[in-house]
Amino acid sequence: MAGLTLKHLYKRYDNSGKKKKIKNDFAVQDLNLVCEQGEFVALLGPSGCGKTTTLRMIAGLEEITDGEIYIGERLVNNLHPKDRNIGLAFEDYAMYPPLNVYGNVAFNLRAKGVDKEEIDRKVRGIAPLMQIDDLLDKMPVKLSGGQKQRVNIARAIIREPELLLMDEPLSHLDGKARQAMRTEIKRLINKIKCTTVYVTHDQLEAMSLADKIAIINFGVLQQFGTPTEVYDNPANEFVASFIGEPPMNILETTIINKDGTFFFTFKDSNLQIAVPKRYYSVVSDGFRCKVGVRPMDVLVGGEDSQGSPEEIATFENLGDERRIGIHVGDILLMLITEDERRYKRGDIIKLEVRGEKTHLFDIETGERIREQN
Amino acid sequence: MARIQLENVKKSFGKVQALDGVTLEVKDKEFYVLFGPAGAGKTTILNCIAGIVMPEEGMVKFDDEVMNLVDPAHRNVAMVFENYALYPQMTVYDNMASALRSKLYKTDEDKIKEKVLWAAKIMKMENLLERLPSQLSNGQKQRVAMGRALVRTPNVFLMDEPLAHLDAKLRNSMRTELKEMQANLGSTCIYVTHDFMEAMALGDRIAIINEGKIVQIGTSDEIYYMPCNEFTAQLMGDPQINIINAEILGDKDGYSVSFPVKRETVTLPLPKDDRVYDVIRVDGLKQVDFGIRPQNVKYSFEPKEGYFKTTVYSYESIGNKSVISAECGDFLHYQLRMIAPNGLNVEIDSDIYLRFEMDHVILFDPETKEYIVRYDEAGIQALSDQTAAANA
Repeated sequence: MAGLTLKHLYKRYDNSGKKKKIKNDFAVQDLNLVCEQGEFVALLGPSGCGKTTTLRMIAGLEEITDGEIYIGERLVNNLHPKDRNIGLAFEDYAMYPPLNVYGNVAFNLRAKGVDKEEIDRKVRGIAPLMQIDDLLDKMPVKLSGGQKQRVNIARAIIREPELLLMDEPLSHLDGKARQAMRTEIKRLINKIKCTTVYVTHDQLEAMSLADKIAIINFGVLQQFGTPTEVYDNPANEFVASFIGEPPMNILETTIINKDGTFFFTFKDSNLQIAVPKRYYSVVSDGFRCKVGVRPMDVLVGGEDSQGSPEEIATFENLGDERRIGIHVGDILLMLITEDERRYKRGDIIKLEVRGEKTHLFDIETGERIREQN
Repeated sequence: MARIQLENVKKSFGKVQALDGVTLEVKDKEFYVLFGPAGAGKTTILNCIAGIVMPEEGMVKFDDEVMNLVDPAHRNVAMVFENYALYPQMTVYDNMASALRSKLYKTDEDKIKEKVLWAAKIMKMENLLERLPSQLSNGQKQRVAMGRALVRTPNVFLMDEPLAHLDAKLRNSMRTELKEMQANLGSTCIYVTHDFMEAMALGDRIAIINEGKIVQIGTSDEIYYMPCNEFTAQLMGDPQINIINAEILGDKDGYSVSFPVKRETVTLPLPKDDRVYDVIRVDGLKQVDFGIRPQNVKYSFEPKEGYFKTTVYSYESIGNKSVISAECGDFLHYQLRMIAPNGLNVEIDSDIYLRFEMDHVILFDPETKEYIVRYDEAGIQALSDQTAAANA
């Protein structure tokens, strides 16, 4: 069963596109998305891409220009936010400062007129889950950022919503606290099995938390898939470069034919990489496109390697791994190795590429060029 | 260019002892990193060198000359801050030229042009010179700020978290660029950061600072593989090193470490090594904290010879790889972290079997938390020397 369905969703702000002549004046454009019951879906994109607008439309805080939103089987377009049965957790915690943690968590239920014993049972039930059992008597000012956000989430889920909406709940926290909270949120959602939509601009957060990721740019859905799908099989250049850290190497290339074998060649560089056989049906001599390969899939070849000899421009030892940069024209091609060897600038290495991990993109549109069977 | 020395420098702000006897020496043309958590005193050290902060005790020397009473303006240091402090009404060119046009450095325009173009080339922003700061991205702004420092040929560059403002991706690519420029700078540079990757990648040597004191000074390899205490070990590496309190069993014919996992006790033999065994025997070690980095923890989802059983606490991607945490506590939560590839199908709370690569353990004193011994210290020294030779 679907937990949330978006059908041809559009949003245009009244003032948008008037001052500046921009190509796309829709904040959200023809968005179609189906989240299964209990699924954790991340809306991911750079700032201004329309992800928060989408979330606010689902919540009912923003009017819909066109399209339909279903929560479960219910069309909610015309429902008031309070009748949509959703839980919300935002970046800032917006707690009631005169109430202690218990009061804050219980507030919603009290407002609904749920009886006292029932409230107490629910609050005490959810507290250990969010690890706030020791904090129930504390006032919000006494809490750390991470603790506040835990209370905030407890408050959102205590109503047992049909749908949980979270907007960058971790972006206020510093690195370590963010990592710890990420783990906690993941475990929690795993336990309560509530359909969740989670807005973030941090690809790491999306990759580590979500069952599925919707990547949005300029209000348009770029790809919707599992973290593995978007990482290994990106739909276009934008997705490929947005997901992964360090990002995928993406280079403009001209393909040449040498005695029946195709090679990628690059402007102002001697580097030549054999084109994987599976692309032979779509390439030709002089064909221009972009080729992408992740830093983990570029390798340092051994002594007898047939790889192209290249000079190291940068070598960074990061302890856990080492990163090597090589100039290909004016682009720095990165590769990651866990090999213990220490290189230096100017060393020559044989460069090898895992052919099966290369992706081709159209030079104009950035769309993936897929091999044909 | 100059050699910078600090001798027993002390500074307090009210009741807070910001610097508590800092002694260090930065060699000529060295890239020296000050690394530590927030509030450790890193920036105060930098400010003492710049002359913005007066130490209460101790000496600041440039090339053996005492600088304590010299004005900041006459120390000829160049500072780059986290916020770029560019003049918004001036173009990039004028921003970079501004210092040379001041009374102190009054230089003729031809010479200025030559210098600005040279710095712009190193910082790769020749095409940006006519722009205003408002037309630049944050990464470009920081490059202008660095370029502006570069044109003056100062005694020393002082950089205070220059990349901290930038988002993760840009920070990583700027770090790589900075590494590339480093070779062309050819000047003494003191660089403050709280990001261990910046410290590891950029520093010829790293000084670890905590609570106003220097904890350890060494090359990145020395600090990563032979941290002087648990604090340093935990600062270096992401995910953090696993540190486990264990009992030492056995005798000189075969020692092993024994520690609880859930409700069982796991005993793992320490590989035989004369040097490590001698230390254990001579010190009469009974209890030890042993550290093992996540990449040295191996896992299996099936029972296997030499593996012990526990359960999965979480599985998360950290970019190009993932981290599995395994729950090993009983009443108290405590997890072991290990590296795994992306895209595995891992159920939370399912069984997992672990093995440690015991020849990579680092032993710490459980009382003082200080480094005792690890395997293959000689090999690590060789790695460190190899890097030093490469940078020279």
